[in-house]
Amino acid sequence: MKIVKIPGKDLDLFASVLPAFGRLYAPVKRGSGYVFDQPANWSEIALSYARTILPPRKLLLPPREALFTFDPVNGYRDLLAEAAEPQVLFGVHAYDIHGLNILDRVFGQGKYADPYYITRRRNSAIVGIDFDPDDRHFARSMNADFVDGGFDLFLHDIGDDYLVRVGTSRGDDMVAMSGCLMSEPTAADIAEFKRRSGQRHAAYRTGVELGDLPEILEMEYHSEVWKELGERCLSCGSCSMVCPTCYCFDVSDEVELGTRAGSRLRTWDSCLFKTHAAVAGGENFRKSRSSRVKFRFYHKQRGYVAEYGRPSCVGCGRCSVACPAGIDIVTVIRTIRGQTDVHADDVNVATAGR
Amino acid sequence: MEHAKTVLIIDDDADYVSGLAHLLETNGYGVRTAASGGDGLDLAKTVKPDAILLDVMMDDRTDGFFTLERIRAVPDLSDIPVIVISSIYSDYPVFRVSPESGWLPANLFLPKPVNPARLLAELARLTGTGHLTLPAETRSQPT
Repeated sequence: MKIVKIPGKDLDLFASVLPAFGRLYAPVKRGSGYVFDQPANWSEIALSYARTILPPRKLLLPPREALFTFDPVNGYRDLLAEAAEPQVLFGVHAYDIHGLNILDRVFGQGKYADPYYITRRRNSAIVGIDFDPDDRHFARSMNADFVDGGFDLFLHDIGDDYLVRVGTSRGDDMVAMSGCLMSEPTAADIAEFKRRSGQRHAAYRTGVELGDLPEILEMEYHSEVWKELGERCLSCGSCSMVCPTCYCFDVSDEVELGTRAGSRLRTWDSCLFKTHAAVAGGENFRKSRSSRVKFRFYHKQRGYVAEYGRPSCVGCGRCSVACPAGIDIVTVIRTIRGQTDVHADDVNVATAGR
Repeated sequence: MEHAKTVLIIDDDADYVSGLAHLLETNGYGVRTAASGGDGLDLAKTVKPDAILLDVMMDDRTDGFFTLERIRAVPDLSDIPVIVISSIYSDYPVFRVSPESGWLPANLFLPKPVNPARLLAELARLTGTGHLTLPAETRSQPT
């Protein structure tokens, strides 16, 4: 992989040419949190942030998306052209890029590849950036603290400069366009990268043991832990909304009043919602909250492993931050392993590190 | 009678804006000004000028570039001619991305200090007011 270097003081000049590759989105502060939005200027862009409220998947799999329109005169018109609007996502953390790579497997392959997601993914340039883990991050446990693909460029802070890993030919075009801003790294730069990488590994304060977790989940299918969690869970779906890899969606038709014209919509759904497993005829395969919250954990840490060989959790910590009931995924996993009590640490963890 | 074309100047250098505004007004243009990218964008949405003269280095040294993207993203403003006027290339020689390379969605880039005759001629072209002849006292040496 090609690696170059850019002075940190010139990142603003580099960012100013990125819109040549699409509409620029970057992490910006909004209220007490960070969101991916179009920045008004360079100063608004947060190079150092813990996590955004919603993951960058909101820009590739929008919360509400019109797939096609229909009317009696013109018939159907798909909206793929709108999905092809180029965009640049600047400042994406490694675990979020892993999240997109996981969605690529779900939407980008096989018999039912999704043309809307694929089009957006192809037309989205990704520029990643390092992050320092906080109390909620456990991306290292999920092998998502470093990523070697799925991005166009990745920036690594080495002090006054950034090492820039070039992931694609589009990334190479970005380097070429920025011309004299980039230079060759030195041996000292590489040494500093390794030093900081080691520091970052050691900085993780939260982690889970992953290896035999799928099998332990199989064994604990009828554990009382799920019943207790079900009593606390509010089924609000916040965990799904903020998750980089949740991809359940609902489909509906919205018809304009008084006409026969309208559009087919895709909207985010959540397996925590009561209606998620309801089918025609009135049967609901996961009527209880405990069954739904259990399903979410099993899908992330067991079902996806069986299908794709790795968990679909990337250890970003967003679900723990967002949960109004204080359910913390790390505590739940440790409890299932018999390492802690599901009640003991939750309150403390829920209030720490927000 | 045709109304005077309106030009919006977005630049945080008050003295420079004052001189530029005088040049434009004595050549028949109406002038509005804003001292920041954000204020300029808001004013552009309200006034819908016939052209925009946009500085780059304001609060941040790349402010104008970001403002230009936001202008182009507004459907009502996307067709307004924008002339970027800046000394960023001379002030920061490491920044060698040519404005003619296609990355800058402006209609024209002019280096500061701007040649008044060139500016007026380009404004006339972009706003469709035809070719203008400068009064003798405003003609400057060619750069």
